[in-house]
Amino acid sequence: MKFKARKPLSNFSGSDRLRALSLFLIFIFFSPKSYGAEADLKPGETIGPQNWQKVQGMVGENLLNRIKAGYTFQIKEPKIYHPLKEYVEATEKYSDKVRLGPSGELLNYVVGQPFPKIDPGDPQIGLKIAWNFFWRWLGDDYKTGGATKEGKINRFVIERDGAERRADLVSYFLFPRTRYLLNPKPVIPGYENIDYMQLRVDSYPRDESGTTTLEIRYDDPKKADDLYIYIPSIRRIRRATTTQRCQTLAPSEFNLDDINSFNGKITDFNYKLLGSKKMLANMAQANLPYHRKQGDYLPLDEKWEVVDTYALEITPKDSSYCYPRKVIHINKMTGDNVLAQMWDKRGEYWKELIGFFTPVKLPDGRDVWSVGDVSIVNVQNGRSTIVTATRAYNRGYPASMWSLATLQRMMRGESIE
Amino acid sequence: MKQSRSRSLFLLGSLLSLLVATTAQAYSIFGDEWEKFFKEHVTFGGFIENATGLAVGPSGDRLHFNTSNRFDMNRFTIQPEFNIKFTEEAKLFSSWRFVKEPRYNAEAKSRRRSVSPASNAKPLDNTFYDEDSPKPWELVLNLNPADQLSIRLGRQFISWGETDGLRLLDVINPQDNTFAPPGAPNLFNLDETRIPSWGLRVLYTVQPVSNSILEFFALPGFDEAKQRVDEVLGSNDTGDLKVRYGRWSAHPETRMPFGRMFTNGLAGRSTIIPSTRRQLPSAGDDWKIGTRITHNIGSFNFGLGYIWGFNPQGADMVFKLVSTSPGSPGTTIANMRLINDRTNIFAGHFNYALGDVLGIPLNTAIRGEAAFYPDEPYNISSFPGNSFRAGPHPKYPTGITEKHTLRYAIGFDKSTFIPFLQDDPWRAFRLSFQIFQRVIFDHEDGIRPFSTAEKINKVTTNLTFRISTGYFGDTILPDIFLGYDPDGYWVANPAITYVPPWSEKIKFSLVGAMYGGHNKFKSFGFFDEKDSMFLKMRYQF
Repeated sequence: MKFKARKPLSNFSGSDRLRALSLFLIFIFFSPKSYGAEADLKPGETIGPQNWQKVQGMVGENLLNRIKAGYTFQIKEPKIYHPLKEYVEATEKYSDKVRLGPSGELLNYVVGQPFPKIDPGDPQIGLKIAWNFFWRWLGDDYKTGGATKEGKINRFVIERDGAERRADLVSYFLFPRTRYLLNPKPVIPGYENIDYMQLRVDSYPRDESGTTTLEIRYDDPKKADDLYIYIPSIRRIRRATTTQRCQTLAPSEFNLDDINSFNGKITDFNYKLLGSKKMLANMAQANLPYHRKQGDYLPLDEKWEVVDTYALEITPKDSSYCYPRKVIHINKMTGDNVLAQMWDKRGEYWKELIGFFTPVKLPDGRDVWSVGDVSIVNVQNGRSTIVTATRAYNRGYPASMWSLATLQRMMRGESIE
Repeated sequence: MKQSRSRSLFLLGSLLSLLVATTAQAYSIFGDEWEKFFKEHVTFGGFIENATGLAVGPSGDRLHFNTSNRFDMNRFTIQPEFNIKFTEEAKLFSSWRFVKEPRYNAEAKSRRRSVSPASNAKPLDNTFYDEDSPKPWELVLNLNPADQLSIRLGRQFISWGETDGLRLLDVINPQDNTFAPPGAPNLFNLDETRIPSWGLRVLYTVQPVSNSILEFFALPGFDEAKQRVDEVLGSNDTGDLKVRYGRWSAHPETRMPFGRMFTNGLAGRSTIIPSTRRQLPSAGDDWKIGTRITHNIGSFNFGLGYIWGFNPQGADMVFKLVSTSPGSPGTTIANMRLINDRTNIFAGHFNYALGDVLGIPLNTAIRGEAAFYPDEPYNISSFPGNSFRAGPHPKYPTGITEKHTLRYAIGFDKSTFIPFLQDDPWRAFRLSFQIFQRVIFDHEDGIRPFSTAEKINKVTTNLTFRISTGYFGDTILPDIFLGYDPDGYWVANPAITYVPPWSEKIKFSLVGAMYGGHNKFKSFGFFDEKDSMFLKMRYQF
């Protein structure tokens, strides 16, 4: 695929930084009060079975049980990220006019964070935080796996007994109507009604290699996503429905709505802000992928840090949905989820998803953050899945890459770029 | 010839060994620049596979595999594949397919027994199923001179359409019908039985957001020297006039009296001896050209296209009576040519995802395709002819009539949960139902397949159903494909695959291919008495 030239970007000015910081502080200031224990954790402190109580409530139940059983790690200084200047400016410029529609849809949204001012007394605060999460900064486009050593996502499926299988893939996201840096901006003409498009290409093992999916999310809350799958073994593009969002993306433990922690249609769910909560996270992974023991999903030598989060409870409007309750913890600094917890219909704890992060650079040299390794564990069947998914942002891909022509010309093992 | 083949095998073996070894070490023999190029621009993959088949079923089913050795397949395949990324605009994909399949005496013996006179019957060459050509299986240069323009040059596959398991619009590449049991996509999928063709394919995306794409292809020639698709009857291009039969060709006894369907004997010569020869297209007649536009209207995706050129599909062949002449005393020789006509195909296909309809969650993807063949040639005979047997049709002295024909298929795909059948209640079952129909306009009585006396009705229907899922983290993968012809024929193709939880590279599949019907002269019934079970072992690299 031919790249288009990127225009160089100017650096931050002092006033820009000040403005960004002000907005950031306002965002924090208006945050609801924290709930739960806030442990006094100091950098350098080791957490393990001897003092697991210190992190109770700051990690998922499964991780806590592992700590009780002997898993140890150190606490480190928190990594600080600053919001992107252009994102902050767009938020300032457009957020005043954004409203919620009768079905919970966004009205008058252009670009940026829809609801930067969080009022704890607002009855729709949960929904607003959900929209903020959906429209968090994710670049104008990105290649998941683009910033890993191999330039692709490595996915490991781990059985209860420790047996592992690997798969490699890449996925490309385009946000055609919320562009901050790349022209045309903020929207690519013709794409006004598309929230994002994802192109995913499997590259290993060989029989899956070349399998390519194109997924399109529309802004219309009533319109289901479009999903096309190119299957190399028949060399044809297959249409698939996306309404069975609960089906396991076997052999992994993810389902369609677990992608990027929570990928459901915002209007299909109800939201409740449980409050602010200090959680343990890793916003700057030491190693990519993190070191781990064969057969185990937990990192061996990564340090964890305390982050401020919103705990958001997500409950489905459709009673047949697989997760009657899901709680995500949104890092107030980056807007990303650091821990998602899911319960099944019996109310029993089911899955735990941990997102690690890592600093990456934009093409203009600025530091931003990206998801690093993500793990999900099914505590009921003992299986887990790890993906190393570090993103390369703002690659300047042409929108034509997200079309069926790309699927039609895929070969096994071929890279799109 | 043998020396040449041995040399080719040796060279290929050496090349393969070199290439496998080079992935780890041997780049350096090319120097640092080349090593860097290989590391950054070349990827390597492929698979090694063994498929072993065993004839099964009641005694009747063993008619053709009736010795102590009932193996009917032992196919060993190596397929290395390379990707070379020269630049962002130019990439090369190449693969080779090497197949070795020792054949078993059981098949050869049974063929000889079932052909009369036996002297005319000859087993296939021991190397018949082998593929050891140094010619790349695929060799495609992908060029992207602009974001919206893609050009593909080389030996390639082009597949149009929406169907699964059975083909309809998928007629651009010829198919190899010799090694794979028909109607059994769980053993060899559609792609494994296509034969690649040299040619050019161009895709131009007019408007990406609506998937408006113009496509053009041109395939000049029909380069497969071994005409496997016509491996059905007669001299088979071997020139020795010995009858050969492949594993999945129709029953020999269905064809023996077929000369009578084309001609009456000369006076005093009642026995008709067919003398058949494959007639290949002459230079310039073997091109195939096609164009198509695809587009989205909302979520409705469709394509309209046109294909012109030589149609190499085995199922579309016809016999043409050229002449008759006196043979040995009491016999008449019917000289016939087995031909594929040049064809026009007007093509269309669509897909659409249905969510809720009137509040009912259908959650079903609908897909369809259609092919209209103007003046498609069919063999035709008079029923009954002389001696109450099918004989030549008085209106059609060559034995061929041409009829407009419409073939279409509609499919429905749905993912659904059947919790009581799942270890993971959220691992969905994939269900697929398809209906295929062929309608012959201005139909006449007596239209029949080229090789048998079974009539083809005005409307021919096939139904398929497929269900698949996964258990234990997709380490156990059952997949069942069923086909049914309302005329009374069926195929069942169940499979179960095991993927060990400790390796993504290995697969073991147990696959059945069972056929039945009220006779063995039509549809899936052609393959009655050839029920088999297969074990496939595949290692991916």
